[in-house]
Amino acid sequence: MKKMWKLAAVAVTASLIVAACGGSDSSSDTTSAPAAATDVKVAVVYLGVPDDKGWTYQHEQGILQLEKDLGVEVKRIENIADNADSEKTFEQLASEGYNLIYATSFGYGSPMANVAVKYPDVCFQWATGAKFLLTKDGGGAFADFAALPANLGTYFGAAEEARYLSGIAAGKATKNNKLGYVAAFPIPEVIRGINAFTLGAQSVNPKATVQVAWTKTWFDPTVEKQAAESLLDAGADVLGQHQDTTAAGVAAEAKGAKWVGYNSDVKEAAPTAWLTAPTWNWGPYYTKTTKAVADGTCPTDEYYGTMADGMVTLGSFGDSVDADTQAAITAKGAEIIAGTFAPFTGPISDQDGKEVIASGVKAELGALLSMNYFVKGVIGSAKG
Amino acid sequence: MRSPIRVVFEQRNETPKHLSILVPLLSVVAALVVGALFLLATGYSPIETYSNMLSDGFISSRGITDTLGLSTVLICTGISAAFAFQMNLYNIGGEGQLYLGMIGGAWAGLALGDQLPTFVMIPVVLLVGSLAGALWILLPAFVRSRLGTSEIVTTLLLTYIAASLVKHFVYSPGSFFVTKNSAFPQGRLVPDSASLTGIGDTSLYPTFFLVILITLGLFWVVKKTEYGYRIQVISDSPRAAHYAGINANRTTLSVMLISGALSGLGGAVLIVGPFGRLDPGIILLGYGYAGIVIAALARNNFSAIIVSGILFAGLRSGGDKLQISTDTPIHIGVMLQGAILLFALGGEAFRRYHIHAVRTERATQ
Repeated sequence: MKKMWKLAAVAVTASLIVAACGGSDSSSDTTSAPAAATDVKVAVVYLGVPDDKGWTYQHEQGILQLEKDLGVEVKRIENIADNADSEKTFEQLASEGYNLIYATSFGYGSPMANVAVKYPDVCFQWATGAKFLLTKDGGGAFADFAALPANLGTYFGAAEEARYLSGIAAGKATKNNKLGYVAAFPIPEVIRGINAFTLGAQSVNPKATVQVAWTKTWFDPTVEKQAAESLLDAGADVLGQHQDTTAAGVAAEAKGAKWVGYNSDVKEAAPTAWLTAPTWNWGPYYTKTTKAVADGTCPTDEYYGTMADGMVTLGSFGDSVDADTQAAITAKGAEIIAGTFAPFTGPISDQDGKEVIASGVKAELGALLSMNYFVKGVIGSAKG
Repeated sequence: MRSPIRVVFEQRNETPKHLSILVPLLSVVAALVVGALFLLATGYSPIETYSNMLSDGFISSRGITDTLGLSTVLICTGISAAFAFQMNLYNIGGEGQLYLGMIGGAWAGLALGDQLPTFVMIPVVLLVGSLAGALWILLPAFVRSRLGTSEIVTTLLLTYIAASLVKHFVYSPGSFFVTKNSAFPQGRLVPDSASLTGIGDTSLYPTFFLVILITLGLFWVVKKTEYGYRIQVISDSPRAAHYAGINANRTTLSVMLISGALSGLGGAVLIVGPFGRLDPGIILLGYGYAGIVIAALARNNFSAIIVSGILFAGLRSGGDKLQISTDTPIHIGVMLQGAILLFALGGEAFRRYHIHAVRTERATQ
């Protein structure tokens, strides 16, 4: 018996030593500049797992489309927390010869920018990013915009367009004019979405109000469900959300309320409650930028997609959305795509009734990206 | 009729020396073997997986610097846990004390960083972070020493409050810790005077050596000083300590405060090192909870914590990189990390008990 243990120990030790020697020479490949798209080594870094039926799932759909469009094979890196610790992941990807790295969460920005400086030949793409936040003025490490790495682009989109449309469905569906909204964090992106949803609802139902419940999390089914239930208990009969799970939908389904989802077209999560959802279509951007890298250029602008270019879309309609409402939403959507209508067009006043966007004025992108107030009709505090 | 066989756990009075080394070693080997079977069953090569884990965790130059860098904070939370555990005080709120260390450290860096030079600022940030960690355990320590309230519950519950505090300081508009005019709430980076650079542009910071020195210092305190002796007596026999005139309440209070300060130091190490800002992303990493496992692996022995902290960091770092260097899914990396830790802890039973099978004697027949 004793002998067997000894043998086993020796065998394992030996295999470890062999393994160690084998492993050390794998880190030094160098790749020359890619010529065809299939030569681009693409990696995508996910906050969660691709089957979350939410944010990461939707990016995965885009990556699958990229693979289909260009025949490239994309490396998925899953479950990477978006904080300083992720720098290791980006550093290793760059050092292992990946030419193009997509990072799908806000918190990857600073760590990725640090790595981008060290690997000028690798193209980095930061979803939901804003270059300002990497500069000293924005709380980042780089002196100014000029000092930022030249191989870093950002991409995001005007979800508010589809949120406005989904608000129309909600405004029509409510019986008591009380809408609820399960919201992640009091930041401009979320606040903008709540406002667009409210304006959409009010466009067909001027008496509609939207009560907001903050969860302070992007992804936590339990907390989201509790927040949804508190809104339902307070009388809301339609829920909207800015969250990455379908928990609010499940809560609405159980109480016989209606629900507007987010990120993905997942009617099956709450079949009766489902109205529609603002969704993302990342595929065209992934294909376009991978092609650009194959041609030798790294897209470095701060890309803001829209419904017009297809990055932002509206999901399918639920059974309870009648034909008239569907037609009205589709018509409004066509106006948005044609550029003849924008959700944030004055007159718009804030919660206190003070006019924030003058009559006939279309809010500029900068004003949208820094929006920190609620419009009239929203119940709750924009400060969280 | 044969009498049934029964497995007997007989507590050892003293652990034979060879078992102290053999048990942890064989535990790791057993975990690797089980992991290999699992890998084979799921269609991955154990050799390739282990070689990559070893290389990315311990052998390649980036592997070892990443590992030592990560171990810096893990050793802090490890010695924090062990310092309390050795006196049977179960501070399992190191996670929360770490957050407070981050808050305190970031505060000091932002508030004072522009006025003081680096050689003053770094110690100040580390000190304020440690004090903040100690402050966070003050209440549990006080009620434990005076009223005997279970510190397990209080320290754990305070961790949730600490997590909310971190989020509050980052997501509340106009907070001192974030950029005023920013669209997205993001902690401000501390000024250059309050941040160190990695050695040779790696993720290994000079704080690693400081933490090693502190750990060895604690080892000495526990083994050689009167204070360490008092801790030993109280943990062995509170009654004997009482008769010997040792003030157990005061020692309880001080041991817990020091434990909190050490986790706080871990948080401050992140501020002068890799994070540089108050970042709610810390909540996803569980460095404080890892300290509990590291202390348990090292059986609260301070010099062993250096080893178990580095081992844990390497497993984690190498396991996380598996999905880049091989096609192994992240779940398998996490599973292997878990298996190794589980076996290492489970092996304890063999060290502590003499386990053997006996036939039960029957009186009749």
